[in-house]
Amino acid sequence: MFELFMTFVIDLLAFFLIYLILNIGLNIELGYTGITNFGTVFWFSAGGFTVGALATRLGAWLLNIDTSGMDFIDDNMAIVTKINGVLKGEPLQGLMLLILMILIAGVIGAFLGVLMSIPTVRLRADYLGIAFLASGEILNVIGVAYRPLVGGPPGVAVPDVWAWAGEWRFPVATFTIFIFAVIFLAYAEYLVRTPLGRSLRAVRDNEFAAQAYGKDIARFRLIAMVIGSTLISISGALYVLYSQAANPSFFRFHWTFLPWLMILLGGIGNNIGVLIGTFIYNTIYKLIVFYKFALMGILPFDVVWLNYILLGTLILLILIYRPQGLLPEKPPKIRLERGGRSS
Amino acid sequence: MTLVTLGTIEQALAYSSILSFLAIGISLLYKTTKVPNFAHASFATAGAYSVYSISTILGLNPYIALIVAFSSVVLMAVLLFIVLEPLRRRKASTQMLMIATLAYDILMYGVLNVFADTIQALFKIPSRTVTLMRFDFTIAGLRGVLVVSLILLSLSAIILYLILNRTYIGICLRASMENQALAESIGINTRVTLLISWIIAGGLAGLGGGILTIWTQIDPSIGMLLIPSMFCASILGGLEEIYGAIIGGFLLGFVEIIGIEVLARSVGTWVTPYRPAIPLIILFTTLLLCPKGLVGPLREAIRKSWRRG
Repeated sequence: MFELFMTFVIDLLAFFLIYLILNIGLNIELGYTGITNFGTVFWFSAGGFTVGALATRLGAWLLNIDTSGMDFIDDNMAIVTKINGVLKGEPLQGLMLLILMILIAGVIGAFLGVLMSIPTVRLRADYLGIAFLASGEILNVIGVAYRPLVGGPPGVAVPDVWAWAGEWRFPVATFTIFIFAVIFLAYAEYLVRTPLGRSLRAVRDNEFAAQAYGKDIARFRLIAMVIGSTLISISGALYVLYSQAANPSFFRFHWTFLPWLMILLGGIGNNIGVLIGTFIYNTIYKLIVFYKFALMGILPFDVVWLNYILLGTLILLILIYRPQGLLPEKPPKIRLERGGRSS
Repeated sequence: MTLVTLGTIEQALAYSSILSFLAIGISLLYKTTKVPNFAHASFATAGAYSVYSISTILGLNPYIALIVAFSSVVLMAVLLFIVLEPLRRRKASTQMLMIATLAYDILMYGVLNVFADTIQALFKIPSRTVTLMRFDFTIAGLRGVLVVSLILLSLSAIILYLILNRTYIGICLRASMENQALAESIGINTRVTLLISWIIAGGLAGLGGGILTIWTQIDPSIGMLLIPSMFCASILGGLEEIYGAIIGGFLLGFVEIIGIEVLARSVGTWVTPYRPAIPLIILFTTLLLCPKGLVGPLREAIRKSWRRG
């Protein structure tokens, strides 16, 4: 019983942390800079596909595994088993592969952030939202159609970079994600306090005033997009590494709508609020999944759909009754120096 | 060797008119509320499922069931209007209104799936990837749905034109579209005009979704699959141009269906799964090159040359 409970808690924590990294990225775009990113699923799947496509190939190459005559998609399972066998005794190489994948996913995410920003940084919130929402699932289309990427609809398995941890695999994996999340959260908190963070908020609050002070709005939006995209892409990469599989089925509901819900629940523009919102949502969600089976068979429909109804209603209620979230954004602290100049 | 067959053109015409039905509503709502309505996805699905369930359970002709589709989606749209009212009164930002329509869409996606599962369990009829194609008739070798959708679309456009330009309520609606504060100051109740635009947009989306069932296979996620095309059609038309949406719908419909057919025949059939990328590419090029859409600038150019000549 205790072991079952621990598995439940560790899985809950892992998902909470993966969502947290995504939400910190989205909060930098949406909360700090006011970019209506309705397409976070795009960068999330970009990170996921990076790992799905490269982890096996790079892993085999780095570990000198003989793959002659084997196809990375058709013989995916055989190659992954071979890599996992080697990684079992090599913690250092497992961690190296992990860090390498995160770096590549981050770079690809940042690159796609720039690419998507070119037509959009100058657009108003509504046009921007349409463009992002429409393009969100384009990577899934490519993933389904182009088999060498992640093997089409059935997907591919991904080497287990935590294979060396043996039966402690899941706790160790969760702890690694925890370290990443702490680093990103600290960075986001640091970013608010820098001149860059203040400029981002100035762009959000009043474009014209920011422009009058000589701020290049397109440039600041681009910066926010690059930082946010990198974090979202890394969270997608961690998700695939944690679940050891990649397939082109990253849904708008899970990776765009739910992050928005968590941020709105916690409080836009407040990192601690985002943390609380993410935690509350994930706990409730896991409990629903845990107790869902009790309702099965009584109702004439699949219980899964109740989630959609429940969460849609929840977000409408938040928007109507508490649009600032549980923890509203704090007004910036202004230190007055002698002579009345603020710094 | 001809690249395009008559059947493909037929497909393109039917698809274009469905897109137009949906895009008109998006443009109309954008013009009145300044918010892109993401819930149009579930509006289309709701229209499709009303027609399917009514005509399968009651054995009605699907074209008569279109009336039910019209009214049920009007109800859905009015409900969304009521949900958005407190947000509008508080002068919530565009972002908040957008996420509200998206949330409503998710909520309705759940409701529609529950509906599909329930009719399957209660009436023992299939409810996923279904179609009413076989109940359609043919006129002079053409599929009935093509003729009916084109006639309905032209009728709707004419009626919309008459309402907007010849009736008192239409003039009030146009006034509040142009300048809401000014319209309020001369005593127009903008809540009523907003409600009317939601009713028109919902009804048209219901018709579009209903025709979808007769034309092709439907599924609870059909609206979500169509939403990039809907917005692309609307933006091609200029997003604020109501009749531009029809032009955008036909432009996109033809490019999507005939373009992919021509590509598949000349490059190879492997391009076919990439079809969902077409509206996105068009959307981004339009936003990059002429964010005001094609119709507005074109009209300006014609007007200028007219004056010169």
